[in-house]
Amino acid sequence: MSSLERRVAGKRLNRIDGIGKVTGKHVYAADFALPGMLFGKILRSGEAHARIARLDVAKALALPGVRSVLTAQDIPQIRFGTAIKDRTMFAEGEVRFRGEAIAAVAATSLEIAEAAVRTIEIEYEPLPAVFDPEEALLTGAPLVHAGWNDYQALPVFDREGNISGRSAIGGGDVEAGFARSYRVYEHRFTTQHVHPGYTEPRAAVASWDGNGDVIVWTNTQLPFDMKNMLAEVLDLPASKIRVIVPGIGGGFGGKLRVGVEHYAAWLARKSRRPVRVITTSEEELTDAYPRQPTVVTLKTGVSRDGLLLARQGRVILDCGAFANSGPATAAIALQVLAGPYRTPHLAFEGLAVYTNKGATGSFRAPAGPMANFAVESQIDLIADDLGIDPLEIRLRNIYREGDTGPAGETLASVSIEECLTKAAAAIGWSERKPGEGRGKGLACSWWLTTGGSSGVYVRINPDGTVTLISGAVELGSGAITGAAQILAEELGVDLTDINVTDVDTHSSPYDYGAQGSRTAFSVGNACIAAATDLRRQIFELVATQWNVPAASLRLENKSVVGGDKRMSLADVASLSQRMGGGLISHGTSIQPMPVFDPNRVKHHPLPAWTSHSFHAHAVDLSVDSITGEVSINRYVVAQDVGYAINPTYIEGQIEGGVAQGIGQTLSEEIVYEDGRVLNANLTDYKMPTMMDMPRVECILIEKPSVNGPYGAKGVGEPPCIEPPAAIANAIAVASGVRVQSLPITAEKIALRMNGGR
Amino acid sequence: MGFAFHRPETIDAAIGLGRQHGEAARFLAGGTDLIIQINRRRLAPQHLISLAGLGLDGISETPTEVVIGAMATHDAVVSWPGFQKELLALPQASAVIGGRQIRNIATVGGNIVNASPAADLVPVLLALDATVDLSGSTGSRSLPLDRFLVERGRTERRPDEILTTVRFAKPPAASATWFLKAGRRKAMEISVICVAVHLVQNGKARIAIGAAASRTVRVPEAEALVEKQGLSAFREAGQIAADKTTPIDDVRASARYRKLLVAKLVERALAACADRIERADP
Repeated sequence: MSSLERRVAGKRLNRIDGIGKVTGKHVYAADFALPGMLFGKILRSGEAHARIARLDVAKALALPGVRSVLTAQDIPQIRFGTAIKDRTMFAEGEVRFRGEAIAAVAATSLEIAEAAVRTIEIEYEPLPAVFDPEEALLTGAPLVHAGWNDYQALPVFDREGNISGRSAIGGGDVEAGFARSYRVYEHRFTTQHVHPGYTEPRAAVASWDGNGDVIVWTNTQLPFDMKNMLAEVLDLPASKIRVIVPGIGGGFGGKLRVGVEHYAAWLARKSRRPVRVITTSEEELTDAYPRQPTVVTLKTGVSRDGLLLARQGRVILDCGAFANSGPATAAIALQVLAGPYRTPHLAFEGLAVYTNKGATGSFRAPAGPMANFAVESQIDLIADDLGIDPLEIRLRNIYREGDTGPAGETLASVSIEECLTKAAAAIGWSERKPGEGRGKGLACSWWLTTGGSSGVYVRINPDGTVTLISGAVELGSGAITGAAQILAEELGVDLTDINVTDVDTHSSPYDYGAQGSRTAFSVGNACIAAATDLRRQIFELVATQWNVPAASLRLENKSVVGGDKRMSLADVASLSQRMGGGLISHGTSIQPMPVFDPNRVKHHPLPAWTSHSFHAHAVDLSVDSITGEVSINRYVVAQDVGYAINPTYIEGQIEGGVAQGIGQTLSEEIVYEDGRVLNANLTDYKMPTMMDMPRVECILIEKPSVNGPYGAKGVGEPPCIEPPAAIANAIAVASGVRVQSLPITAEKIALRMNGGR
Repeated sequence: MGFAFHRPETIDAAIGLGRQHGEAARFLAGGTDLIIQINRRRLAPQHLISLAGLGLDGISETPTEVVIGAMATHDAVVSWPGFQKELLALPQASAVIGGRQIRNIATVGGNIVNASPAADLVPVLLALDATVDLSGSTGSRSLPLDRFLVERGRTERRPDEILTTVRFAKPPAASATWFLKAGRRKAMEISVICVAVHLVQNGKARIAIGAAASRTVRVPEAEALVEKQGLSAFREAGQIAADKTTPIDDVRASARYRKLLVAKLVERALAACADRIERADP
């Protein structure tokens, strides 16, 4: 840890967007409205895979109050997508999942729009469908995209038929490793669809101005990506698209990609009026970007004393009808499956597979909870079989400083031992089964801090305040407050002196977006760069005035100080405004890619992780012997954050991530039956309530990264990775029942305790 | 989704509106289910007749009887001081209905008339042999709750009738009630199974179960066995209850799990009642 005493960074300061949010004055995208605005509504497919035989919108067009109706006929045939351009705005002749958009209506009220959608006549001719990703891999399985080979795709991905992406990582000789092993274990784990659960639905208002530019107010996490996506779908130069983000009521990776924005923009274009589109709960649970279900098989050979010798694994990831981030997620799963463990012989393969279900996406720590559930459940199974304590077997296998990672990269700032021992100590690991029906479990993992560039403009105003203009959005995590704390620290001002502007792609500098645990990290670094340049500008200006060397000046107490002279920052800014156009700088950051061994990875978009974090979770829970109901007594997280820029908001991230993890573990699942979602409402899609949540005890470990601001590492995603495995391991101790499929419902536990399967 | 909203000030006025609009009207109590049904387009009443201004929200006790107004909220049941000893199952059930905001507006009458098989308070009232009082254009009448309930969403109530009160005899001192609920989470949960038991020392036994059939049901065979054999028959009574009920498979739970829950929760609730009676006994 740095011995440097900091005034602003590292402090538990109130977030800059806090007052507006707790007083209800903050404007979120779903609050945004314009005069004369119309309301858009989407007609969705009632079939999972079918040819559209007839589509007639005449009655909808004739309904009073309806201003426009759009189908695939009315717009250019443009395919878009993150990894593969496999999706269209409306189904073109063929629907590929139940819930796919077929038409859209804009009307003077939402009720009229809904009524109009119900009048649209449609006839289908059903086609063979496939719902199970393993069946989709079989020879002769129906193809979700018969024309897959003609789609444009990022060259890194290896595709074939229903496989939208295949990747691999590993080295050594697993067969030789298994042959040398004392025992070899094979297990299979399955995980489910879960929704990101943001409070605010996806919302967009679009309006076209006199120049033929379209302005879209939306709660997207990636405004610049959205701008480019809309340019594609609207068939316009990107400079004609202006994306503004008023406020976001949570995203968790579910608001990365286009959802309602293109419908709002096209309907507004056709209607010549502003149009708003907001999703309903039913739409969220049938056509959003939930976490992909997976089937993970893992074969592990160990020595007599529990050292991992060889591991072979396969992750089958069900990406639904469109690939979106599936191929990348199946690839990232492989590093999670490796875990923070040394393994001489490793062969992992990831497959993203199309099925006739809704698309999926990059929910917080994509692939993290699924792959971690497999590896960390299996480590406990192996420990039990060998008679080794689960903490001990982990400590024997974890990465150490300078070890080689799965892609052959050299690992630095490795803190997994400290995470494990502190979490175990806090939960009282020496007493793993404190009583009948009660047990404790552990799980650990590692995760990356995503790169991507950030730019900021920073201006010092003549009143001494500082304006931070960034293209990064505040998702609700407090990340922008964290970046502002770094900026205040660097400029010698208070956090309350910093103002942050809303994101507007016409004027904000580029940012890679609120994804991958990177906002505070990357924007913080850009702020350091901007502040460095501002200090140079300030010192050069004042040096000229005072006729002293710039190097003799320093910032202190919101003033420039040199010898016995002092000038306030406000006066320097005024001076600069009079003499040189003001104090403004452009700071940028990009995280360098680490060196890795290309022979160890195939078709992998993120072959080696950067500024990785380590973490361990420990839980103490009780299982009801009759109902199987799980009650969590205590929950501990020890997470290496590199440097805690604002401990309060880091703890908030950990608490929220654990809540989402508990939901995925115990109660949440989008249930499909033959392509139909059975629980497309918030009565039966069960996110945990306050009554289900324990207090989460956070232990922040600060082992600095090389690249992060003041050594910080990415914080936001990791907390939802370990809960499934930690809780599964504790349930096994408490009840004697080992459940290898998520969610671990009370029903699964109770039926197994009572002799069923 | 347009409807006219009526707010009558007397029971007679409410009944008159009910008769006038017939099937096109719905009486509105707490609205925690009705409004959802309207929003999901499963119901489209043209008239909503509010029962909020009729003075039906009271709870009262006589030396022999407890009377709960149909518009009493679950929050009121939870905080009624008279429901602590033998009647503990009432606040036990009301306390786990929905969440705090729902309990603050959802009513006892709504829970009954809505006739959901998963209603949490209904098994308790059934176990207490409760009677419902109805007022309509042809006068007032009373029915045992057990006869009032027909099946999912259906009761003996006529379209112009209002459920005004639900009443039951005060149980003797040497008795107990107990309520248990199983669901996937600890609040905002529709019961996967709920069970209410009423046990009188050397007297009657009542076992009522929710979410295990097309309506909330009692299990007379299991009750008779417990009345005859007492403590030693608790496990068998649970098994009989499981055998006699007909739960379904749905997205919330399998029929198999529900049967298991019925057997075990009935046994657990009976044991809890016996334990309370024993502890209260000097």
